[in-house]
Amino acid sequence: MAEAKTKLGANPGFAGETGEFAHLTESDVRGTAYVGTRPLDGGHPGASASYPYQLADKQPDARLFEGPYAERLEKIRSRYPDSRGALLPVLNLAQEIRGHLTAESMASVAKALDLAPAYVRGVATFYTMYNTRPVGRYLIQVCTNVACNLCDADDVVAAFLERAGTEQGETSADGLFTVIEAECLGACGFPAAVQINERYFENVTPDDVPAILERLRAESAGGGHR
Amino acid sequence: MAYPYRHDKETRILTAHFGEPDARTLEGWKRRGGYDALRKALGMGPEKVVDEVKNSGLRGRGGAGFPTGLKWTFMPKDDRRQPHYLLINADESEPGAFKDRELCRWTPHQLIEGALIGAFAIRAKHVYIYVRGEFFEPAQIVARAIEEAYAAGYAGADVMGSGVGIDVTLHLGAGAYICGEETGLMNSLEGRRGQPRIKPPFPAAVGAFGQPSTINNVETLCAVPHIITRGAQWYRSMGTEKSPGTKMFNMSGHLVRRGNYEFPLGFNLKELIYDVCGGIRDGRSLKAVIPGGSSVPILSAAEIDIALDYESVARAGSMLGTASVIVMDDRTSIVKQVRRIVEFYAHESCGQCTPCREGTTWMGKILRRIEAGDSTEADIETLTELCRNMTGTTICVLSDSAAAPVLSSLRKFRGEYDALLRRDEPALASV
Repeated sequence: MAEAKTKLGANPGFAGETGEFAHLTESDVRGTAYVGTRPLDGGHPGASASYPYQLADKQPDARLFEGPYAERLEKIRSRYPDSRGALLPVLNLAQEIRGHLTAESMASVAKALDLAPAYVRGVATFYTMYNTRPVGRYLIQVCTNVACNLCDADDVVAAFLERAGTEQGETSADGLFTVIEAECLGACGFPAAVQINERYFENVTPDDVPAILERLRAESAGGGHR
Repeated sequence: MAYPYRHDKETRILTAHFGEPDARTLEGWKRRGGYDALRKALGMGPEKVVDEVKNSGLRGRGGAGFPTGLKWTFMPKDDRRQPHYLLINADESEPGAFKDRELCRWTPHQLIEGALIGAFAIRAKHVYIYVRGEFFEPAQIVARAIEEAYAAGYAGADVMGSGVGIDVTLHLGAGAYICGEETGLMNSLEGRRGQPRIKPPFPAAVGAFGQPSTINNVETLCAVPHIITRGAQWYRSMGTEKSPGTKMFNMSGHLVRRGNYEFPLGFNLKELIYDVCGGIRDGRSLKAVIPGGSSVPILSAAEIDIALDYESVARAGSMLGTASVIVMDDRTSIVKQVRRIVEFYAHESCGQCTPCREGTTWMGKILRRIEAGDSTEADIETLTELCRNMTGTTICVLSDSAAAPVLSSLRKFRGEYDALLRRDEPALASV
């Protein structure tokens, strides 16, 4: 456990195996210094859809598309030949602000883009990343598809559930963690791949789980990661 | 790259600068020769760029291996009546594949340069980079690079002062494997459910927003600047006659050194597994290999002494696909892993076609029954019949992809199914 924690501190982009790249820092791996802080108004219109739409801080009662968010909405819309093209990025924006999509949120999106509310719901429910009910501060998604499955991803899921004190698809009593199994996350060489909000943790073994949760609790107590 | 590992035998072209944070930045990329190819391409004109890529023999790296230059020639030559679109498929979600994410997060300008050259070649005024929603982190890196490219005048109304205008827009998906299928991707980009379309019409005639469109994979476009800079003949000097160039091999499963390795096409699979990746973990032996992502037929341990190019893997009864090699050791329950793959396809089926919607779910249920030792020989017959009904009967190949591992495992690992049908204790314990 102590060893796993040291590795996590050295290069948390991977929880475990860093191979020949152990010298890289977390910022090196994630590119956080390069990305910097993305402006809420979206920055350049071509890049305005680049926000993580699963943030730790959620404002389920916030009004949608005001201030800088209204600017971002306009920038997004300007990039498509019709307003329907903007539907996915605008749904993403609604979820970024509120944390999940209610029927009311979807109706607001429909109004903003001049689409029928039923059409918007029909599209939104096709995709897995739209939460139709609230999730915890951290949405923990463990890949259990074949490449991770071969490397004991089922045990990683079990460890997260046990340590977070919740059941699959449910949120822990402290509101911090929702744990679910995910389909392939596209990080098959680094099993088990775990996505926590926007961040990936790679090469995660059951032994790494306590340190990851500890880190998330500390981030949350310190005002949180975004 | 080889990330987190490298190997001395690699030919690193696309992956040469993985693990170098400085290579992400515009300045860092220019110091490595970045954007020289775009300048050269703008001077060549669209036809010559298409010819160069055609002559290089580059084939699409998204799985199908269709010749890229030929695909580009399908686009109308006249762009005055209708806008053309270049769509970049970064919806990487085939189980086993993890190359496009690495290209996006380590070398975003390599992708943008390739995209601008591709757009110039097909006279597209707008590039959409469709990144799967889960890839928040790589997408933000690409977003930053797009902003840098605009600020430098490499993207926008007047690319490098050539008078050609090319816009680049990042688009994030929202979690659906089927959006990696080209017509599903177009529907998703248009704000619809990501359900594949019937072809024809083909995208070059009626694509995104009803306009002529070409869809290329991230790895394909990342190869383009190198081809423009160093020439088609140089590219053809690597790989085989019909499968030229290098390819990223995505190595996962029970290997000592997993990771991405770049080699010329035609590299030997056995050598890749044992020499490059250090063989099987924990001193175990090899049972099976899926050579091209979860949707291709499984190879047994006896079948791996083959060259990894499109033709050779097809001759061996499987497909190179995305060159995503999933390695399984002797403890692996083939039935369990096939069931996991089938359940993935059941989850991701878009639901339009009955053979796929019903077949994938039905197969998953039967396989679970077999795993539990609660099955009979009749189930094997039903599985086989389902696979027959699911192959070549649907709008897209998701259905065929779900059937391929089932059929190939029944053929090559029938003993594992039989042991479960007999309710063999060790077999039941292994799943």
